[in-house]
Formats: sequence, structure tokens, C-alpha cells
Amino acid sequence: MVRHLSSFVAAVVSVFFFAGNLSAQTTINPDISVIPRFIIQSNDSERLGEGKREFSRPDFAFEELEIVLQSYLNPFAKADVILTLPGPDLEESSLGAEEIYATVVRGLPLDLNVRFGKYRVDYGKINLVHPHAWPFVTQPLSQQRFIGEEGLNDLGISASVLLPTGNVYTKLTMDLLRGAPIGEATGIEDTSGAKPTYANSARLTSFFTLSDHSDLEIGLSGYTGIHDPYNRDRFYYANLDFKYKYRPSSYTSLVLQGEYLLNTRKASQDRDFNAFVGADGNPERRSINTGGMYLYADCQFLKTFSLGGRFDWSKSPYSKDDDAKAFAVFMGYYPVEETLGVRLHYQNTKTENVSSSETVNLIALQILFSIGPHKAHPF
Amino acid sequence: MKRILSILALLACVLPAQAEVRVVTSLSDLADLSRQIGGERVQVDYIVRGNQNPHFVEVKPSYMMKLKSADIFFIIGMDLEMWAPQIVDGSRNRKLDVVDLSKNMPKLEVPSRVDASQGDVHRYGNPHYWLDPRNIKMLLEEMITAFVKISPNDESYFRANAETYLKKLEAKITEWETVMKPFAGSKIITFHKSWTYFASWLNLVVADQVEPKPGIPPSPSHTAELISLVREGGIKAIVVEPFYDASAAERIARSTSAKVIRLTTSVGGVDAATDYISMMAYNIKTLATTLR
Repeated sequence: MVRHLSSFVAAVVSVFFFAGNLSAQTTINPDISVIPRFIIQSNDSERLGEGKREFSRPDFAFEELEIVLQSYLNPFAKADVILTLPGPDLEESSLGAEEIYATVVRGLPLDLNVRFGKYRVDYGKINLVHPHAWPFVTQPLSQQRFIGEEGLNDLGISASVLLPTGNVYTKLTMDLLRGAPIGEATGIEDTSGAKPTYANSARLTSFFTLSDHSDLEIGLSGYTGIHDPYNRDRFYYANLDFKYKYRPSSYTSLVLQGEYLLNTRKASQDRDFNAFVGADGNPERRSINTGGMYLYADCQFLKTFSLGGRFDWSKSPYSKDDDAKAFAVFMGYYPVEETLGVRLHYQNTKTENVSSSETVNLIALQILFSIGPHKAHPF
Repeated sequence: MKRILSILALLACVLPAQAEVRVVTSLSDLADLSRQIGGERVQVDYIVRGNQNPHFVEVKPSYMMKLKSADIFFIIGMDLEMWAPQIVDGSRNRKLDVVDLSKNMPKLEVPSRVDASQGDVHRYGNPHYWLDPRNIKMLLEEMITAFVKISPNDESYFRANAETYLKKLEAKITEWETVMKPFAGSKIITFHKSWTYFASWLNLVVADQVEPKPGIPPSPSHTAELISLVREGGIKAIVVEPFYDASAAERIARSTSAKVIRLTTSVGGVDAATDYISMMAYNIKTLATTLR
């Protein structure tokens, strides 16, 4: 496994190295970062079936390793390659490509930026943030249910432009994507290939400087794709997001961030492929309107410590009777900038549907470190 | 028609000349120097406030907007502004001239090898060269070269302004050197390695830093070592920039006879530092008073 991994990395590095040599007769190596995450966690759901609520024995687990390679390809374009080794089985896991894309950053008409490859789509606020950079350990429920654990990450082509809105930064991004199944719609795959199932995404975002110490970003995103290729059933997401940051000094800050997602879809079956049946006993095609949201606050109160809380609420993409709510508190400790991070996370999650209700408590301790250059964080 | 033309001609004479060169600088000090030589023919803005740590700057879209319509972006260079490439790319300004002012600067503390065990060491050397005012002449020369590329007809104007400013600065340098001469060889402690060029100019000795390694937070054991060092060396001043937490420095001061002083590396870092000369004057006066 290790041999497999190292040869893969060496191959990718070689491509960049030789590309540099051939084109410019100089050695141009990419920036390389390696970020592994480990987790120790326990929850009280294992024996709920027996009517007992007790925390399981905490186990050490490997969560994920990210290998990030970034470089300019030439004066006009950059490339990013992000490889991941997913957990929990470190020995048996195999390396995958989370993102591989090139971005043309200058030289195009209207100062367009064009991206192509496989990438996290500029949709919502948290989708572009990799899990190692979240202030908490778990993904918000609405993201899990409507977008999926890996985020909105697909093959495609994207174009973005800055709109002429005076001194206010306003960016419009549009994507044409392969249309990979997302969220809870993970199983229906069209093998006939009769018609493409492209997805489209767009995001409009504006950034406002409120004072020397505070800024606000507001975004509106839309996404549409086909979730059932046989019935050509389409879904539409509309997503409103905001991020407010108050940073009075180098050592203290307050972040407030939230997203609200609205889902509209036609569906003939639920997420487990059980056909919807009407009152007359015949199959029926339903219109489903559901949604979800999260809101979190994260306060950095010392150079090395932060403390926050998050509220999640989410329906299922396929049923308004399937409801989940969660409340989480989390604490981060970063003793030496971002080279080492420790996050403690407690979450209470309640899921309900017409036939059952369940509450689960989770305690997790996440440890991560980072090798390589630490780039400045985007807002 | 003639009347309209004469009104337009009159307006052209009465209205102030339109700024031709749009400049954004990474630091407020560079903004002040750009104004000094560019006068009314440049429009100047900057990214990092004087009371902000220039090493760590969040990449905000508002910074990209500042660069979007700029002609020139002056940076200190030597990897001080690790965040600069991201805002340059984000600005989508293909005509932007990013000018690294460190190109011809004499560099101090250039490491032979860099790895993370040394802390946040700058691989091209210590970048705080603007705190030696003798380096400003070379810096202004780089600025003029960049301005002239955009506005070649104004070269003599820029040069005349630079000459006037340098005369004033040189007089101040002589004055500051006279004030600090009695303290040559004095030891100081600094929080970060920001004062290497400043100390070298004034023949001061930076005995150690409050940070055990650049960018690494003060540790109790290192603080204890510094207390001994300050006591044994009779060190009177612990220099801390306005954006650093002074609590570790104050712990050292409480256990010794040293005093914590806030010196600023940039214009706007303290109220008295309204431009480069007043910033240096404030630093010299504060330090001399403490060392006396």
C-alpha cells in the first residue's frame, strides 16, 4: 500500500517537475502539503436497540489523509491536485483523487476565470472548505443529506466573472457538471447512457467590508440535476449562505456562518428505491419540497483556542416526514499556528420519521497535523 | 462653440490634475513613501493596517477589489506577504505590475537551510529592511522606476519629489543617529525578529526574542531563560509590536528591571506614527527614553 502510494505521488510530482523542465528549462516543483486527520470517538447508539443508552468504548481511528499539490502551470493557469486516502482502515485504504483541476486565472476576455477537471463546486459557503479547515468535526446534517459526505464535487467546467458593482466584490460562477449522484441519491445510476444527466450550478456572492475589523459575505447558489435517470426526474436546490467575521485583534475573532437550502424535486421512489404508492394503491410521482440549514458561531478567544456551537436542522431530500436536528459544541486548540490542531466535539442528534425517533450523543476528539506550506486562508 | 471650448480649457486649468498612477501597497509605510514621491499624480491605497501583523493576512475579496483597478502593487517581498499571490490572482488584473521592492536590498539573516523546526523563517532572509531608513533611498528608486513605466512624462516630477524627501530623511537620519549614539552596543530583547535591520543601523544588540523561534508562541521555559538573560545583561528594553500580545514580555519585565515598550513597524501602528518619518521618530524617541 505504502509503495503504491509513494509511487503515485512520485509520478504526479514527476509530471510537474518535467513539465517545468521541458517548458522553461527550470526546476519548478509544486507546493506539497500533507494533512492527516485522526479521530477518537464514542457514541451512545450501539445498544439503543436493547433499550440501553451507554457510550461505546472510544476507539482510535484514521479519518483521512489529504495530499495537496499546487502549482502554476504557466503565467496564465494554476493546477491543483488533491489526493485522499480515506479512513478508517489505513492499511487497506486506497488513494483516490478528490480534486484534479486546472484554473485559467488570467488572459481570458472579461477577466474570466475558467476551471476544468474534478473539483469542489463553488456552491454554498462550506462546500469549498475541506474538512481539515472546519472548526468542528462533523459535517452539518443538511450538507450530509442533500450534498453528501464528499461535498458537491464533480467533473465539469466552471467559469466565473467579477460583476461591475463598484467597490463591492461580486462574483458570478457557473458550472456545467457531469451530474454525479449527490446526497442521499447515491444509488440510481443510468447504465443505458441514453441521455446525459448533466447538472448545472451557479453562485452569486458579494463581499461587504463593514468596518476595519468586520466583514460580511452573502451568497446565493442554485443547483439542478437529474436524480432518477430512468424517469428523468430532476431536482432543484436553492441555497442562501452568509459568513460574518469580526476580528478585533490578531488573537481574537468571532465567526457567524449559516446556510439555508431549499429542495424541490419530482420523485417516483424514495431514497431506498421503494416506489411511492398513492392512496389508490397505484404508483405515483410526487412533488417534494423540503430543506435544511445550519448555523454556527466560532469564537477564537486566545491565540491558540477557539470555542463554538452549531445548530443543524434538515429534512430528507425525499420526505418531509423525515426530520433531523442536531446541536453541537466544539473547541479547537492550535498550539503552533495550523501545524497541529486538536478539536473536541460533542453533538446531540435527534432523527424522527413517521414510525420512529432516535437521539444519539457523540463525543469526538480529532487530531490533525499539516506538513508543507501554510497558505493564507481565504475569507 | 468657442465659449464651450474656453470653459473646458478653464476647467482643465482649475481642476486638480487627475492622478495617473494607481498604486496599492502591501504595507502602510510603502503607501506613505509612494505618496511622498508620487504627490497628486498617484492614487495610493494599502492592504495591511499599521496595527495588523503583516505576516498573517486573511485573503479577503475586498483586497482583490483594491488591486483590480491598480497599475502597481508594491510589496516588501522576501516572503513577508505570503498572502499576496492569492489576492493578485483574485484581482484578475492582467495589467497589474507587482513590484518586489527587496530585489536589490542588502539582506540580513539569509538562512542556509530552512525547515519548520526553525519556526517561520523566511527563506530569502529577514524581510524587515524598511526599518533601516538608509534603505529607503534604494526603495524609492525602485518605486520611481515603476511609476515611470506607467507615467513616463512625470519622471522629473517624481525624481524632484524623491530628492526633496530624501534630503529631509537624511537630515532626520543624522539626528536619530546622534540621539542613539550613546546607546551603541546596548542590548535589547524583541518579541519577533522584526528589528534586525533597525538594530544593525544603530549598533544595538538584539540579545534574544520573546518568541523562542520566529512565529512560535512564547513558552514558560524560554520566558524563564529570558528573565535570567535580562537580569545578567542589564537589559532595559523589551520591544513589542502593537499587534503582538505583550503578556509574556510583561512577565519578564515584572521579574526584572526591564521595561516593555511598544515600537511600531508600520505607519499607523501607534497614533504618533502618521508617516514614515514620524514613525521612525516615535520609535527612536521611545527607545532612547527607555535606554537612558
